[in-house]
Amino acid sequence: MTQSLSAVQFKQATLENGLTVIAEINPEAKSVALGYFCKTGSRDETAEIAGVSHFLEHMLFKGSERREALQVNLEFDRMGAQYNAYTSEENTVYYGAVLPEFAPQLLELWTDLMRPALRQEDFETEKQVILEEIALYEDRPNVMLFDWGRARYFAGHPLGNSVLGTTQSITALTREQMAEYQARRYVPSNLVLALAGRVEWERTLEQVASLTASWPKSHVDRAYPALNTAVGELREPYPKATQTYLAVFAPGVSAPDPRRYAAHILANILGEEGNSRLHWALTDKGLVESVGAGVDEADRVGTFYIHAQTDPGNEEVVKGVLREELERLERFGVRPEELERAKNKLATTLVFAGETPMQRLMSVGIQYLYNQSYEPLSEVARKVEAVTLADVNGLLESKPFSRSFIYCLVPA
Amino acid sequence: MALSQVEVLPNGLTLAVEERPWTPGVALQLLLPVGAVNDPEGMEGAASLLEGWLWKGAGSRDARALADAFDDLGVRRGSSSALEHTTFAAQFLADKLAAVLELFSDVLMRPHLPTQALEAVRQIALQELASLEDQPPKKMFAALRRAVFASPHGRNPSGNRAHLESISAEALREDFARRYAPKGAILALVGGIGYEQAKEAVLNAFGAWSGSGAGYPPIELVPPRSIHLEQDTAQVQIGLIYPDASFGHPEFYSARLAAQVLSGGSSSRLFTEVREKRGLVYSVYAVSNGVKGYSYLTAYAGTTPERAEETLRVMQAEIARLSEGVREEELERTKIGLRASLVMQEESSRLRVASITRDLYMIGRVRTLEEIEAQIAAVDLSRINRYLAANPYQNPWIATLGPRTPAAAQ
Repeated sequence: MTQSLSAVQFKQATLENGLTVIAEINPEAKSVALGYFCKTGSRDETAEIAGVSHFLEHMLFKGSERREALQVNLEFDRMGAQYNAYTSEENTVYYGAVLPEFAPQLLELWTDLMRPALRQEDFETEKQVILEEIALYEDRPNVMLFDWGRARYFAGHPLGNSVLGTTQSITALTREQMAEYQARRYVPSNLVLALAGRVEWERTLEQVASLTASWPKSHVDRAYPALNTAVGELREPYPKATQTYLAVFAPGVSAPDPRRYAAHILANILGEEGNSRLHWALTDKGLVESVGAGVDEADRVGTFYIHAQTDPGNEEVVKGVLREELERLERFGVRPEELERAKNKLATTLVFAGETPMQRLMSVGIQYLYNQSYEPLSEVARKVEAVTLADVNGLLESKPFSRSFIYCLVPA
Repeated sequence: MALSQVEVLPNGLTLAVEERPWTPGVALQLLLPVGAVNDPEGMEGAASLLEGWLWKGAGSRDARALADAFDDLGVRRGSSSALEHTTFAAQFLADKLAAVLELFSDVLMRPHLPTQALEAVRQIALQELASLEDQPPKKMFAALRRAVFASPHGRNPSGNRAHLESISAEALREDFARRYAPKGAILALVGGIGYEQAKEAVLNAFGAWSGSGAGYPPIELVPPRSIHLEQDTAQVQIGLIYPDASFGHPEFYSARLAAQVLSGGSSSRLFTEVREKRGLVYSVYAVSNGVKGYSYLTAYAGTTPERAEETLRVMQAEIARLSEGVREEELERTKIGLRASLVMQEESSRLRVASITRDLYMIGRVRTLEEIEAQIAAVDLSRINRYLAANPYQNPWIATLGPRTPAAAQ
């Protein structure tokens, strides 16, 4: 049910052990979504343990001291939970939605899983699953484009680390290395418990305080090494590609940056499907199978990206058009009517973004992880509406696209 | 829950509206029975080309002005053509309804279909077809469907290369005039609008639309068989198709519940046996799907070549084992999961409008949550197990794609 904005409330609290609990409460919702957001990912790994964040995410579902692996799956299904988890370069997120009567059970289950048993036998079985996942993506050049493209663009900076790791790193990884990483990274102060929808706040707080009373208080840091992104072009052949895959990376704005709304609009004007500069320059002319642009707002680092897929024979033409469009964008900026159209579409998107507790959970949780703050949808809508032409064109003053890196995966 | 109001308008267009007075948004879905399955002979890919070509100008606007007009109204939109139909989806604010419908009526009734723009549309379609080589699961499933159907239901929705290259603008325009018609088309709206007001806007925009469309060819099956496609992939793709109870079958819900026991969650049989216990795959599932008039159960797994044989064997064994019946606890768990997913799907107007459209397309009416719940509740253990014993899942069509053939498929 869409939020009637007056009814929506935000609550937050930090427990004795350092765990932060946040909730966007909508009493009119039919479900509750809740999950743990851990500020850890492949950028927090060394080469020896590459892929451990993601492998660990899988291992959490293998149970705790109190629960066997198959028992965990049964419990989720007995609640009718819609749930999953994902790992990125910076975050590991566990999320689920249930009908309100099951919320206390779901909270208890997720909380217990944050302290996994990591049994050796489960570790060996799940290692095979991870190796299959790596093999799966090897067959998808459109995914490998970003894995390899990011590694080259970030040029040694940990944001270029692969989330999956490699067959070699996963094969060599030990249970002890994973346990050490888990103990270090999954400390209460590095986790946020987020809830959305029909939440009973007081009861939730009491329950989680009691469940996590034994969690040791601790602190963990993230390294922020200097960033020198690659500039120019790189072309790499891949035997599993028959089409040509292009990605452009350029410096953008980071997650807490107030210019992020303007950055979204800029990416939209540049590469939105159906009506954008790249749509008319490439798709409308039949030069690509698909093209799109977006932003990646990370922790103290931001990136604009473009991806395109094309027939190998079009590679040079497509690259030429991309260079030309980016140069034109930097030189002349965007036009008022482009800004207005992008804002109109975003306004509609925001109306639908409030429909389900699960959508709200993901948005509120990630936003809090990066900014330690909450923005109701109405506030996001207001900030989008307030973006000016000068805001969008201001992003171009530092000439980010003159520092682009074009990565190209081509048939071998 | 609000009830959908459904009406077939005089020109044959089915209109469905679900009022949600509390939301300012509207989710729209428009389905036309225009797909690869009724592409004319020698023109496989025509539906796909038409869907792209429609956007190259309509009514008083050229392509760019048309896209701008949608954007000016703040419309989020997407369209695609598939095996059986072409769908247009849009989200916008309720006060824009009449203007949005006018734009869609231009696209569907007054497209320019300019010859000079067709070449670009063709190039995109050819690239999409070629990119199947880089998507092994999709390529395997296209081959599997071709192995199942002797009728055009086995066609690749992306078309046929030689046909795509040769289809003329003139032939496509004739095809458009014949197939793009209100009869059999479905327009569903969910959101902050009233039925009468919506109907008036739809009649204003589409009242003058006429035509009876193309209909569908009869379904013809090929006897079950196994095929293998050789490709140097990291994983072997495994697909199976089993005949299943169709909509309207008295045991339709027994079959759907059985599919959930098999693959409805992470404690389901396939996930437990193939992934959790043996670690054979990242992805394994079975799902009820099919074409209008013929339902089937599709099962899928991807695994590295040395483990393909065992994976296929375990999958087939688990699917066959359904005939021995399910346990009370499995059935109960499955019912809880289905109920939760139905309630949560209701929360999203985009999911709701898609499910209304699917119901209207498949069975010609919209099932209510209460009806589905009652049907599910009526399936008890003895009933589902009687059904499964009498209708075992066996004798599938099998496709594999990878470096070598798993022995079990030979």
